Amino acid sequence: MKKLLQSLFVMMLFAITALAQERTITGTVVSSDDRLPIPGVSVKIKNTTRGTITDSNGKYTISASSSATLVFSSISYQTVEVAVGNKTTISPSLSADSKSLDEVVIQVPYGTVKKSAFTGAESTVSSADLAKTQMTSVTRALEGRVSGIVATNGGGQPGTNAEVRVRGIGSVNASSDPLYVLDGAVYNGSIVSISTDDIESVTVLKDAAATALYGSRAANGVIMIQTKTGKKGDAIVRANLRTGFMNRAIPQYDQVNQKDYYELMWEATRNRLQYTSGQTPALAGQNASATLTGPNVLVYNAYNVPGAQLVDPVTGKLNPNASLLWDDNWNTALFNTDALRQDYNVSVSGASDKTDYYFSGSYVNEEGITKFTEYDRFTTRLNINTQIKPWLKGGTSLDAAIAYQRNNVASGTATTNPFYYSTMMGPIYPVYERTATGAFVIDPTTGGNKLDWGNPNQMGARPYAPNSNLLGSLDLDDRSNRPVNINNNTYLEASFLNDFKFRTSIATTYYDASSTVFQNSLFGDAQNVAGRSTKRDNRQLTYTFNQVLSYGKKFGDHNVSALAGHENFKFKLNFLEATRTGFPFPGTSELTSAAVAEGSTSYQRDHAIESYFSRVDYDYKSRYYISGSLRTDGSSRFSKNTRWGTFYSVSGAWRASEENFLKSVSWINDLKLRVSYGELGNENLDTYYAYQALYGLGWNNVGFPGAIVSTLATPELTWETNQTTNIGVDFSLFNNRLQGSVELYDKVSDNLLFDVPLPISTGISYVKRNIGTLSNKGIDVTLGYTAIKKSEFDWRIDLNLTHFKNRFKELSQPEIISGNKKYVVGGGIYDFFMREFVGVDPTTGLGMWKQDVLGTNGLPTGQTTTTTNFTAATQYTVGTAIPDLSGGITNSFRYGNFDLSFLFTFQLGGKFYDSNYAGLMHVGSYGTAWHTDILNRWTTPGQITDVPRVQNAVANQSGASTRFLFDADYLNLKNVTLGYSIPQSFSGKIGLKSAKIFANLDNGYIWHKGRKGMNPQGSFNGNTDYVYPTFRTFSLGLNVNL
Amino acid sequence: MLIYNRINCYKMKNILKNISLVLIGVATFSSCKKEYLETTPTEQIAQETVFTTTGGALVALNGTYRQMYTSLTDHGNFGQKSAEIVSDLMGNDMVVHAQGYGWFNAEYQYTAIATATLNSRSGRTWFYYYRTINNANIILQNIDAATGTTEEKEYIKGQALALRAYSYFYLVNFFQQTYKGNENKPGVPVYLAPTSEGNPRGTVQQVYTQIVADLKQAETLLTGKTRIHKSHVNVNTAQGILARVALQMEDWPTARDYARKSRGSIAPMTAATYNAGFSILSNTEWIWGLEVNVEQSTIFASYFSHMDNTAGGYGGLGSYKKITKELYDLIPVGDARKEAFKAPGSTVLPSVPIYSILKFRKPTAATWNGDYLLMRAGEMFLIEAEASARIAGDEANALTVLNTLVKTRYPAYNFTGTGTALLNEILLQRRIELYGEGFSYNDIKRLKAGLNRPTGTGNHGGTNFAPVELVLPAESPKFLMRIPQDELNTNKALTAADQNP
Repeated sequence: MKKLLQSLFVMMLFAITALAQERTITGTVVSSDDRLPIPGVSVKIKNTTRGTITDSNGKYTISASSSATLVFSSISYQTVEVAVGNKTTISPSLSADSKSLDEVVIQVPYGTVKKSAFTGAESTVSSADLAKTQMTSVTRALEGRVSGIVATNGGGQPGTNAEVRVRGIGSVNASSDPLYVLDGAVYNGSIVSISTDDIESVTVLKDAAATALYGSRAANGVIMIQTKTGKKGDAIVRANLRTGFMNRAIPQYDQVNQKDYYELMWEATRNRLQYTSGQTPALAGQNASATLTGPNVLVYNAYNVPGAQLVDPVTGKLNPNASLLWDDNWNTALFNTDALRQDYNVSVSGASDKTDYYFSGSYVNEEGITKFTEYDRFTTRLNINTQIKPWLKGGTSLDAAIAYQRNNVASGTATTNPFYYSTMMGPIYPVYERTATGAFVIDPTTGGNKLDWGNPNQMGARPYAPNSNLLGSLDLDDRSNRPVNINNNTYLEASFLNDFKFRTSIATTYYDASSTVFQNSLFGDAQNVAGRSTKRDNRQLTYTFNQVLSYGKKFGDHNVSALAGHENFKFKLNFLEATRTGFPFPGTSELTSAAVAEGSTSYQRDHAIESYFSRVDYDYKSRYYISGSLRTDGSSRFSKNTRWGTFYSVSGAWRASEENFLKSVSWINDLKLRVSYGELGNENLDTYYAYQALYGLGWNNVGFPGAIVSTLATPELTWETNQTTNIGVDFSLFNNRLQGSVELYDKVSDNLLFDVPLPISTGISYVKRNIGTLSNKGIDVTLGYTAIKKSEFDWRIDLNLTHFKNRFKELSQPEIISGNKKYVVGGGIYDFFMREFVGVDPTTGLGMWKQDVLGTNGLPTGQTTTTTNFTAATQYTVGTAIPDLSGGITNSFRYGNFDLSFLFTFQLGGKFYDSNYAGLMHVGSYGTAWHTDILNRWTTPGQITDVPRVQNAVANQSGASTRFLFDADYLNLKNVTLGYSIPQSFSGKIGLKSAKIFANLDNGYIWHKGRKGMNPQGSFNGNTDYVYPTFRTFSLGLNVNL
Repeated sequence: MLIYNRINCYKMKNILKNISLVLIGVATFSSCKKEYLETTPTEQIAQETVFTTTGGALVALNGTYRQMYTSLTDHGNFGQKSAEIVSDLMGNDMVVHAQGYGWFNAEYQYTAIATATLNSRSGRTWFYYYRTINNANIILQNIDAATGTTEEKEYIKGQALALRAYSYFYLVNFFQQTYKGNENKPGVPVYLAPTSEGNPRGTVQQVYTQIVADLKQAETLLTGKTRIHKSHVNVNTAQGILARVALQMEDWPTARDYARKSRGSIAPMTAATYNAGFSILSNTEWIWGLEVNVEQSTIFASYFSHMDNTAGGYGGLGSYKKITKELYDLIPVGDARKEAFKAPGSTVLPSVPIYSILKFRKPTAATWNGDYLLMRAGEMFLIEAEASARIAGDEANALTVLNTLVKTRYPAYNFTGTGTALLNEILLQRRIELYGEGFSYNDIKRLKAGLNRPTGTGNHGGTNFAPVELVLPAESPKFLMRIPQDELNTNKALTAADQNP
């Protein structure tokens, strides 16, 4: 009792003394990255032992004198010191320390591993990176952020994915797509159905050591998507609200105007009459003028002078008295200049001692950049993990997405494709019908301006795409898709005998897309059948069931872990389709109202894989690592005798920085060398039934069932294999300021699942065989440099570079021509093979191409000549679509509450064949638009130009040649993000843990060497189509944590 | 201490029990793997299954017919009738009014067949006929072992032989000049059994020898068999194909006899039905045709899309197909066949240009069904008349047959000329009667008069759309399709030197 009183007295005395000199300081410590409070931060008064720690809301209270300095420190954050002075509130933001390899955990097949112990090649994109970009599909966010991949950057329809290739092009006829893994289960559901806000990280696994446990399907790399889980602490409610606008990042080509169009078409006509029909130039000119706006020529006269007087028969110039009656623009008529994009995600997450949880709801709505397209998606997600018993853990993740996608036709040369239509429609054809004086015509039914359908009963039969007006028909048509994607992944994990774990999980994906293609009954393609509607249902069920036993134990300096498992994969697709025509009333696409059945079908496809796998990892003193894995898979795609494939990998790593002789080197924080070799498989064919001799059903002859030969038997067909060697070095230098890795790889795809061409005269064009070898050799570089790291200012630079060479090492025959590519041993898969354009013959104005001079033996002598005969010209290999180098560079800045980052992506080298441009350089098709380059056409003998003369129907002048092959080098301002974190002092007052506002720009500007209008990132193979171009997105967002 | 241990042990037991349950589960799963990895397609069926019975073989035969009217890759390819459109557009008498959507423009201009890619006209023609041949060959290889009656087997076998001969006949004519005088020139590779190894071109004679042999055997096998549908080759059809072949071979007696056998007692359709007679299988004059119903129609990629100028297909959307003014003027007023074209001054169908073909009209405006004519008695009358006119001493028969046919279209007709005048009249009537039915190309080649397209108003080379070629000498290399480059690359029996000039 006495002692107690004594103590109390001393304490009171002390407190009074303190009160005399000190004040109470309060504050909230937040992270500079996300402005979230950091619990557990040590707050100490410098040079004393006194201190406290922040509570679960990051708040602290401490008494300190005005001369004191507070030191805020926490693991994985940089320590910050703040002098107290006369402040009563001190709320510092701590920036995350550059993590050492030891602290980074990465996702690997069937588990996670510390980066320091990982012997494979990977790259990870974090949620912080994903948050910067406004992409509906995560596949569109990877380009430029990960080394060793290339991704297409075509815009795609709203709600579609980018295509991704990991480390080169691995296959010819089998798929080259990577394998997607969602929360540890192989995933073939819809990627675009996953809200990017729910994603914690995306890990790209590149070499055999990393992917071998998915051996059967990992030959083209693995992309592991990990969704978020709750973290210990109070529940966090996070809302991420974004809204923005999209427009074309790739503009339309430059097209000639009305005046030039009439003059050029006059010239094309005159030249035809002169050169083909043998008329004198004077007569040809007169005839060309007389017929110019007549039937079956241009038909329409957009000017206010009579058609026959529109173009002077001698000079070919437009009548100076002519003025335009209308100036409609199909590009603006069919495109949205500011398509709205909205993206909202609200999540709640947290964890108690035993259970963590994360659930979210999100909504995305994207208007397409073409009219009548849209994507709308609701998603929810629930992730729960719980420690059921000390030895038993379990969890489930469940996500569901319901989407609506309204599409246009966006590939090919159907005139229902607005990209084709707006590119090719001549500039003189109006969107709206006009009277002879150019006045609008009122549509009696709508009361608005009447559209012009290019009909004889309106302004005439338009020579380009008569009886069509996409502004009218796309509005009445319905091309839509309603996908539902539900995904569940549940596991149980038992620990026993101290060192063993057994985990079993079942992942199921249900995907169902119900779609409609309705062509309206009033106008266009289905007008004569009173409308046509096709209803489809595509239902896919997938399940992956696995059981994995793992073991891990440390024996002194020796660390051993091993796992063995078994997995079943099953996929079932059911497709149902029916079409009817004859709709009596507009306004519905449902089949019940239509009179005439036009067709129906249904089918089922099944795919199954069964696998056994094991892995052993060993390390000594966390310094020397060795790892091996083995997997055997049976696939239903192959016959009984050839269905099983065995795949393996061996790898090792040496953490040189752990050696004594390097430990003393202060500027080396981490240095690791890695080597791996492995063999992986690929069975991903376009068919599920590859090995049997099959007859295709459904070739019914009226009421009699019919079938025709479809495939030859290939009982020997088996796995395509892929041998990958990887040598890599990971380093972290100068106090972890410079981090990175460099990897060299050699990937050889062997026994390619090749569509070997057969003589067409045998009646079957190809047979699948394991023939050919394709090699991809390359280097991936990833560098991160923290240039400045201060409490108020950071600057970090991230760079990644990708280079690879693709080469055939073996083929079934000396050469295979595939479209505008030729495969030869020593050449690559995307080597262009075409005629070489050498200019225009100055005397005739005809195009000239290179031709081999043949010797008396009929073989090329090695000399070349030029010819104006296109068909006689020789085709040559003229470069590849594969770039020499591609990559991305990010500069990220933070100043106080502001952060700013720029991501540039780029490509050096590589070619692109711009067939869209070629289509605009025709020789004079009435009605079809022209590129302004046609103004440079040859007109007079002796003229030097590279554009041949215009002349209707003259053969092959714009045939496929190097004339339309361009360098594909580009630089894309892929992403700019500017953010401002609202100070806690303010956001706290309104009850928020943190709040941040930000602005993003995606695909800000693309510089490239081709014509304006070309999209050099549109495809891997360097070919283009009339597709959705890349779009630019500008958005504003608000991120609040409650 | 003791208690603690017991609890632990109890726990452990439970864990092990749970694990063993799971492991049993794994074992169960693995044990059913046999079936687990066996999947069967639903859109396809194993070849062995097809040929188990004659009923199955009949399915293979019907599939072969179906691909004769199925769209292949694009809107300009729909089997046999697309080849026939090419034949007429490469002739003298059919004009393309304007480019429209561009289909068949290059064929009309004579630029299409210079290309040797797989997707070109040459490539698609090559593939289409050889696919028919391969399907026929597989049927021929497997039919004998199938369960079924001899009668059923003969019915199927006879048709497969006829289809094979029919395909070789078109192939050899598209890829080489006509038979007569070119017997020893390279023909096309001949396959009599399914294989994946290529054969050499052989000679024209070898191809024809096989064609005749197949047709003779088909005739024997099909004699006395009742066909189950008019799309099937019956004995009259086989005889009709042989008559067509013999005409090309200038084997006049065979042409005459087989044409007569083929038509048998079939009478020409009447003048009243003539102009509605080209899209309905039930027409009594048709010997062979394909029934194209609504479901199996190929819509824009169909014969009527291109040839029915009054429908909303490609023909009606600008690339109207028209008769030359020259031929139109040669048809007398009062001849029902003059009604098959839009007359100058006519006000019906105001949007359709004059001289447009009105002969090929699908039966229903609001649907795309319309049957494909492959052979009719009218052709057999004309083959017989021409052959008789060329056989010394048989002119009387030629006159009778000619007048019998033409009178049904033009009651005032009564031709009495002889010699060259008779022959020329028969050839003119052939152009008129069989206009647009796919005979122009072969006729131009066998008659060796070259291409002679009339020009001027209403003829070829109008102010807006012109063919590149108006005149070609007989046996010009421009008549020949190019063997697809892919064939030359893959067929070990062929080299670049085997390409047509």
